[in-house]
Amino acid sequence: MTVVSPLGYRFPGGTYTIAHWENWLLTDCTTAEPLPDDLAHPVALFHVPILGAGTSITTLFEVCGAEGPGSVGLDGYDWEYMRPLRIGVEYRMEGGIVRWEQLVDERGNPYDSMSFSIEMFDAEGLAARITNTWRFRRRKPEGVTEATS
Amino acid sequence: MKIGDQLPEFAVASVDPARMKTMAAVLRDPYRVHWDREATREMGLEGRVINQGPLNLSYIVNMLHSFSGPTSVRRLTVTFGQPVFDTDSVVAGGEISAIEGDRATCAVWLKCGDEIVVSGTAVIDIAHLH
Repeated sequence: MTVVSPLGYRFPGGTYTIAHWENWLLTDCTTAEPLPDDLAHPVALFHVPILGAGTSITTLFEVCGAEGPGSVGLDGYDWEYMRPLRIGVEYRMEGGIVRWEQLVDERGNPYDSMSFSIEMFDAEGLAARITNTWRFRRRKPEGVTEATS
Repeated sequence: MKIGDQLPEFAVASVDPARMKTMAAVLRDPYRVHWDREATREMGLEGRVINQGPLNLSYIVNMLHSFSGPTSVRRLTVTFGQPVFDTDSVVAGGEISAIEGDRATCAVWLKCGDEIVVSGTAVIDIAHLH
């Protein structure tokens, strides 16, 4: 499957306020106790920028041509916090897809590597920024056999 | 505190598939491999669901919190290896690799058995630990 490169795709942008309930559930999922002083768990920096930027995992899968179970993989995150995230603070987000490469893994299987970056602002300015890299595995063209090494 | 110091480990004895379901709802994550055993059967994985990457990373964050407090994390740069499945036992660990002023850089990892499944670096604020 060949997907039209989404490089340069910009998210609509928007705002997001972390709710107490979602942070409580998120933190519970990590097996930790809730943090004090309205602190949000740092792992909120996965879904908050995506949703706040006006996109979604569903949209990213569609734009990048995800092909079903097993077709999407996680390569890496680079998350930077200028200050801790907090519940009840309105964050403004902007970002987009900043990298798209057609690659082949060590077993000869083709995939597209996609990175998206989002910056997150509060009333003081830049509060956090993320770059996430996902891989979208592609079926081999007919007649191509898998490498054995 | 000095370079080479080990951070206290954070262990999850058995990764809980119920937590993956809740996490999928919080993240609005439609990827079936995290909550639908049929999806991983289709992949030949015997129906074991796959823990979300952010949850794998969260165990590293919890380890950092226990060392340097809940406001200390400043940067996380990680790569992901093999997936973690429900009922797997994982342990997050780390080691201080550099100290500069109020910031420490730590090598961090998550192990499943002997295999490292997440690895990278974390920058933490250590001003309050001096």
